[in-house]
Amino acid sequence: MTQLIWNGLFVGSFYALIALGYSMVYGIIKLLNFAHGDIYMLGAFVGFAMLSSVGVIPASMSITALLIVLLLCMLVTGGIGVGIEYLAYRPLRNSPRLAVLITAVGASFTLEYGVSAVAGPNPKVFPVRLEGDSFTVLGARISVPQIVLMVIAVLLMVGLNSYIQRTSMGRAMRAIALDTKGSLLMGINVNKVITWTFFIGSALAGAAGVMAGAYYGKIDFLMGFIIGLKAFTAAVIGGIGNIKGAMLGGLLLGLLEAFGSQWLGGQWRDVFTFGVLIAFLTLKPTGLLGERVTERV
Amino acid sequence: MKLRLPRAVAVGAVAVAMLATSGCSGILSGGGGKSADSGPIKLAAVIPMSGSSAPTGVYMKNGMQMAVDEINAKGGVLGRQLSLDLEDGACDPTQAAAAANKAVSNGAVVSVGGYCSGATLPTLPIFAKANIPMIIPAANSQDLVNQKLPNVFMINGTGTQQAAAAVKFMAKDGVKSVALMDDNTSYSKDIATETKKDLQADGTVKVALATSVTAGESDYSSAVHDIMGANPDMLYWTGYYQEGGLIINQLKSAGYKGKIMVADGSVDPSLVKIAGAANAEGVFATMTQTPDTIKGAETWISDYTKKFGTAPGPYSTQSYDAVRVAAEAITQAKGTDGAAVNKSLEAINGFKIFSGPLKFTPEHTLSSGGFQILVIQGGKFVLKDALS
Repeated sequence: MTQLIWNGLFVGSFYALIALGYSMVYGIIKLLNFAHGDIYMLGAFVGFAMLSSVGVIPASMSITALLIVLLLCMLVTGGIGVGIEYLAYRPLRNSPRLAVLITAVGASFTLEYGVSAVAGPNPKVFPVRLEGDSFTVLGARISVPQIVLMVIAVLLMVGLNSYIQRTSMGRAMRAIALDTKGSLLMGINVNKVITWTFFIGSALAGAAGVMAGAYYGKIDFLMGFIIGLKAFTAAVIGGIGNIKGAMLGGLLLGLLEAFGSQWLGGQWRDVFTFGVLIAFLTLKPTGLLGERVTERV
Repeated sequence: MKLRLPRAVAVGAVAVAMLATSGCSGILSGGGGKSADSGPIKLAAVIPMSGSSAPTGVYMKNGMQMAVDEINAKGGVLGRQLSLDLEDGACDPTQAAAAANKAVSNGAVVSVGGYCSGATLPTLPIFAKANIPMIIPAANSQDLVNQKLPNVFMINGTGTQQAAAAVKFMAKDGVKSVALMDDNTSYSKDIATETKKDLQADGTVKVALATSVTAGESDYSSAVHDIMGANPDMLYWTGYYQEGGLIINQLKSAGYKGKIMVADGSVDPSLVKIAGAANAEGVFATMTQTPDTIKGAETWISDYTKKFGTAPGPYSTQSYDAVRVAAEAITQAKGTDGAAVNKSLEAINGFKIFSGPLKFTPEHTLSSGGFQILVIQGGKFVLKDALS
């Protein structure tokens, strides 16, 4: 039981990190950014390239090296996210919703097969693998790398939350989510805020990518697809556009999967998880924390 | 988008069915007879040349090329040269169907390709419609022959035969309980189901757990948790190496002490890299013969290595044999007419291929699968038990 909860929370924190990006972007420009899962993949590949170019890293330094790479990757993927927004979404800001949605799908394919063309279609094995002792807490087997990754994920999420609540940029984001035109009239530089939103969302997904690469050890160019869908689901469960909702939704999805697999067997896990999702959304279409007329983001 | 999902297969199959019945499919109707009776004899092969299975595609391509060159050097077939039309199926049902259509319109007379079962399935009706015999070298799901198409022949062991080999080894190895795990693809599910059936019929080995995972994910902790709970003596994973490597890694770090066996889709050097060398050590595998486990293949291996600069790999021999079997059947049929070639394939008796003298069963599979047990030692797959 405790093992299931721990497993669920651990996977859920990956979903949550990616779900945040979906939710922030949707909250601000009402765009389902389907390329977001691929930013996660890109983060893993950028981290892979950086760590491979450094050469052999002594085991004692691996956590330090990983943290440095994590930060660098966040900068790079953040930058790529901004680039995608500038090239693919901004010119279509005032076009019909469908056009932007399809560009997002296009951006997703471009990233996937671009990486496949550059890095090759075969799965890569991450040069640094987080390994450490594990110990038992209340019957759950917990390993040191899991704790390290959970702490990083929680720090990133707490940091993001206070950034949005406390800083003037965060206030601007919330204002645009409420009323874009009004914010523009009040002198907020909307384009700059949107750029920042993409930067932060993509940086978080990139961080999740590096963490997944270092923990699971295998990366490939399609790794962002399924997790992207799951993160999107998590964002919707939590109430899309709501930051805390995205975090909660991610954790809840992880728990649902862990328990679904235990109760009904692996074949039925996704049926169970998404069945619950459908039932939940029919009862509360706005998601856990989403409300119709409140501030978004 | 994860390309081996059965859903994708279904979509591909429906698309094919629609194409085939739409009536305006000019490219589907010509086919077999179109390459006429002069010029080179075209053999088509839909194999993965991109995507995650691309490395195996290279082994297959080289094996075929080697056979074609050898036969052409001896004067070809019926006085005509053989030529190879390679099309990229990418292990993807949709792309494989398109590739098969292209091969048909190029005037192929026999198909010698087929690696991923899920991607090979939708090509069956396309080649059948064009009256083109298929000699499938690698794909081995029972589903391929279950449709009882007259033009489909398999020269790799089937899932049923692989399951039988797995069960035989489990009993021999003194395993008392087994967990079966597949990835929900046609190929993987097939082996798992057959193994379960065999185990239940046999009765000495208990099935502690039969479960599936979703391919393309990274975290298999819930499956690992289920296995730890069932506590089997052995886990038999019937999916591909990418997920297999992750599962072995995650099982071992969760403290799993039992044995692990994988099916032939996981026999790939990358399995060891993904799982970590220490974790992969001692993992068993059910596998058809590879060049380095066949006795007397040394000259062939050195010829291959000299020609292509790399050693042969999985399915090089089967692909080589597929071309030779095709040539033999065309020779016996004294022409390239599909029905005649089908008949001469059925009549083949004792033609020597790597897995032994060839004779097809009534359902067009090998009479013996030739599966054997490999084990990972020092990071490499080596022969453990030939099961003969």
